[in-house]
Amino acid sequence: MENNELQNTWKNIDAEINRKTTDELDQYLTAKCRKTMNKFLFLLSIDIVTAIGLIVFLIITAFNRQGDLIYQSNNLILGLITLSALVISFFSLKKLQGNRFNLPLKELLEQRIKLLSEWLMGRYSKLHIVLIPILVAMIMLSIHVYYEYKPFLEVMKDGESVYGLIAGFTVGLFVSFFAVSKIRKYQLKNLEFLNDLHGQLCNIN
Amino acid sequence: MESSKEEFLEILSNYQGILHKVSLIYFRNKSEREDNFQEIIYQLWKSFPQLKNKNSIGSWIYAVSINTSIYRLRKESRIEYREKLPESVDKFDLIEELSFNETSRRLLKAIYNLNEIDKSIMLLYLEEKSYDEIAEILGLSKSNVGVRISRAKELLKQNLSHGK
Repeated sequence: MENNELQNTWKNIDAEINRKTTDELDQYLTAKCRKTMNKFLFLLSIDIVTAIGLIVFLIITAFNRQGDLIYQSNNLILGLITLSALVISFFSLKKLQGNRFNLPLKELLEQRIKLLSEWLMGRYSKLHIVLIPILVAMIMLSIHVYYEYKPFLEVMKDGESVYGLIAGFTVGLFVSFFAVSKIRKYQLKNLEFLNDLHGQLCNIN
Repeated sequence: MESSKEEFLEILSNYQGILHKVSLIYFRNKSEREDNFQEIIYQLWKSFPQLKNKNSIGSWIYAVSINTSIYRLRKESRIEYREKLPESVDKFDLIEELSFNETSRRLLKAIYNLNEIDKSIMLLYLEEKSYDEIAEILGLSKSNVGVRISRAKELLKQNLSHGK
């Protein structure tokens, strides 16, 4: 096929496409907006319910252990971390909603590659290795110490309790690292795909 | 708000062919194309307030449509790498596009054989867009666009001759 022939064939394809009416387009837009909003609210409500549930647990248990300063401090720090995580996830979700696709393709790809690279290989990319064990240990302590009905220091001196804590900590650690590694693997694949597309776009050799 | 929606729908109604064609070259399955079409409408609506230059509506629609489609491919891992394509493309039956004649089907099959970036370059070429417009939509330099078009055209012609 010659160039003109290609373009004429393409015009035939164009002519065969069924156009939607304005009402249909309006319905598409309304349905999609509603769907996206519901998805946003669903994710946000999961976040809020989980975080509030944990904070309520931390407050109630801390009140029931008025004299145990170490236990209360542990719960306070956990509560603050949970609250910060809730605020961060809210803003991340909002940012995700605000993604714009009206940039030139090359710019969009570079923006996404930069964002993912920073997250996966940037300065704070290994932070989870330190944070996860600390958080798992704090949550384990909060739950375990409370249901032992003893002060924090006493629980720590009890050999059986410590073994229980170590077992719970190990399982919690395994589950958390497994989940994080799955997410990172998925994002690494995404990054590879974006780099591949960027290569396709920029490589003229 | 309502008047801007009306204005948006009017623009969309006039330019909807672009959305259909971009979806057509990236998605072979009818329901995937419908989903993509809807997603593009939503992304256009989201970026509509930022559209300042009403003279470049076409370029804006092409950019959002191509970016959304490519992003959807990534998100849903629907990307098919070139080395895996020949057999899948040959097996692919454009049965849904019954109204297309044989030549149109051949052209579409040949486009499906291109990589994701060449597909968009070829689409813009077939739509008779100028090098300047293509460069603006894809973020490439004008000279780069020229090279990319002739290479994509060559590949397309090869695919067409293999598909005979």
